[in-house]
Amino acid sequence: MKTIPRVLPLFLTCIAAVSMVGCKSQTSSGGGEKLTIGLLPKSKGNQYFVTCEKGARLAAADLGAELLFDGPTNTDPAKQNEIVENWISLGVDVIAAACENKDGISTALKKAQQAGIKVVTYDADAQPDARSFFVNQATEQGIGDQLMDTAAALTGGEGEFAIITATLTAANTNEWIKYIKERQAAKYPNMKLVEVKPCDDQKDKAQQETTNLLSAYPNLKAVIAVCSPGVPGAAEAVKQAGKAGQVKVLGLGLPSENKAYVKEGVTQAVVLWKVEDLGYLTVQVAAAVAQGKLQAGATEFDAGKLGKLEIQGDNVLLGKPFVFTKENIDQFDF
Amino acid sequence: MKKYSREWSVAAAFGLLMLSLLIVAPHFFHWQPLLSRVTSQMPAMVVALGVALVIISRQIDISIGAQFSMCAVIAGLVAASGLPLGVAILAAIACGALMGALNGLLVAYLGLPSIVVTLATMVTWQEALRLWQQGRLLNLPEGIQWFGQSQAQGQAIVIGATALLLILLSWLMKNIAAGRAIYAVGSDAEAARLAGINPQRTTFGVFVSMGVLAALAAVMNLVQSPQIQPSCGDGMELKAIAAAVVGGIAIRGGRGTLWGVLPGLLLLANVNPALTHFHQPPYWEKAIQGLVIILAVVADGWNQKKQSKNG
Repeated sequence: MKTIPRVLPLFLTCIAAVSMVGCKSQTSSGGGEKLTIGLLPKSKGNQYFVTCEKGARLAAADLGAELLFDGPTNTDPAKQNEIVENWISLGVDVIAAACENKDGISTALKKAQQAGIKVVTYDADAQPDARSFFVNQATEQGIGDQLMDTAAALTGGEGEFAIITATLTAANTNEWIKYIKERQAAKYPNMKLVEVKPCDDQKDKAQQETTNLLSAYPNLKAVIAVCSPGVPGAAEAVKQAGKAGQVKVLGLGLPSENKAYVKEGVTQAVVLWKVEDLGYLTVQVAAAVAQGKLQAGATEFDAGKLGKLEIQGDNVLLGKPFVFTKENIDQFDF
Repeated sequence: MKKYSREWSVAAAFGLLMLSLLIVAPHFFHWQPLLSRVTSQMPAMVVALGVALVIISRQIDISIGAQFSMCAVIAGLVAASGLPLGVAILAAIACGALMGALNGLLVAYLGLPSIVVTLATMVTWQEALRLWQQGRLLNLPEGIQWFGQSQAQGQAIVIGATALLLILLSWLMKNIAAGRAIYAVGSDAEAARLAGINPQRTTFGVFVSMGVLAALAAVMNLVQSPQIQPSCGDGMELKAIAAAVVGGIAIRGGRGTLWGVLPGLLLLANVNPALTHFHQPPYWEKAIQGLVIILAVVADGWNQKKQSKNG
């Protein structure tokens, strides 16, 4: 009885090894070789990554590649490493990972590289030496500019506005705010930023802060929330104050969390990237890297239906963030 | 009369803050934002009433924020599944009572220190929620916000219910045996036991009441918007404990009135709105709140010294 469990893994390893040799000989035989791409989400149940997968499948179909989509059920860095290990023994051609824990997964990704597997990252980067390219959904400046441009478009480029941020110390939100300020100074001299208020990533606090801003600055024309719980929080405050439409609400967030307010006309714009396009581009980049078509030093990438996209250093840029409005928000379910 | 001096001095400080707002920024008192502001502070008030009970009984409960989040999510999920709001409220209360009972069991009957027990349960509930809900906002069906009434009616219900709880609990603390037992256990558990009070049962009851109050507070928060955030109770414990302490609930137990919690909470909760209306940067908020708490604790220590000299 005892010998079976001991022999079994050995036996399975043999089978795997044999079948892998089979695979490899097939792919290296040229002609109709089929790429195998492993797409690793932070969590596979999350609607955001499910939407990513949709775009990824589209690209895989376009390219005639085989796509493996697997990840932790709930965000779990250890489980991500496990899946990378599995893909290494399976011998996929390229891995595209959205990293939950930057340092944790980099070791596993480097191991994959040593095994001859190409690695790219998307959504959240690994250490730079653990991958060849990062598919960057939006630069800090891209987000800041888009938020400011949208706010200006909504207010006619005039009047006071306030910002709701996560915390006064969060590095990424501070970067966005920096670019919002720069953009305002450069392009919209008739607009004035009156306050930056932290909401501690709490929707309820964002609501309270906005309520206060509305009565403390009666001429306020717009509220920009740069953290996702802040957008519905600000919207609820504007709605309760009876100022829907009068004070514009916009910010960075998920369409699904803002749909109701956008349709009611309380929130005018939600800024984010098109998540489906992120999945599409990731697979395009992964395939090009695996086939040697995309190499370090490139400054441009032809991403199929997305057209030519810019490369900054080793970041492939998805481009300008997308603005979700009343007109288009129904088409998105992440 | 002397017993109430703390409550009055906090109320006076609050009055002074309001007066300066009236002069510098009369916008503060516009009806609609004022109503929204007060309504949004009611859930913290209800939690603070609960934690006042806990502190009077000479215990502490830092899991109340996590309990609040958990009850909110449970109520939200029940409501989102299409069941009536009443069922959601009952589910929240049951959930709060259970979490409170667990704390009570460990503290009262196993004799474990409440700070350690509630730290453990706080982390457990918080992380469980994070794993379970992944930090996403939960969309509620229509007819939940403001109990399906108009905004004005809903706000009136929330404020009215909180006022009712305050009046009821204050009365009970003075006029029924269980209420007086909480004071007795908090001042001297051994003496209380000799006087025929069961300190374990009292402590257990206090933690269960805390859970139920956290649940009621969560419901009052739930009805204020069409979405619920699974981390909505984060930081609630500090707000509530600070309000209780500033409001004159002695951190060493046995003393303080629930009425004091009201000016305590109002003073602390209005530091931030006041800063906004004075057009001052938000950096000062936590520093000023901290200063108020230190003043309260120092006053406490001073009072105690005076008392022990006199006695």
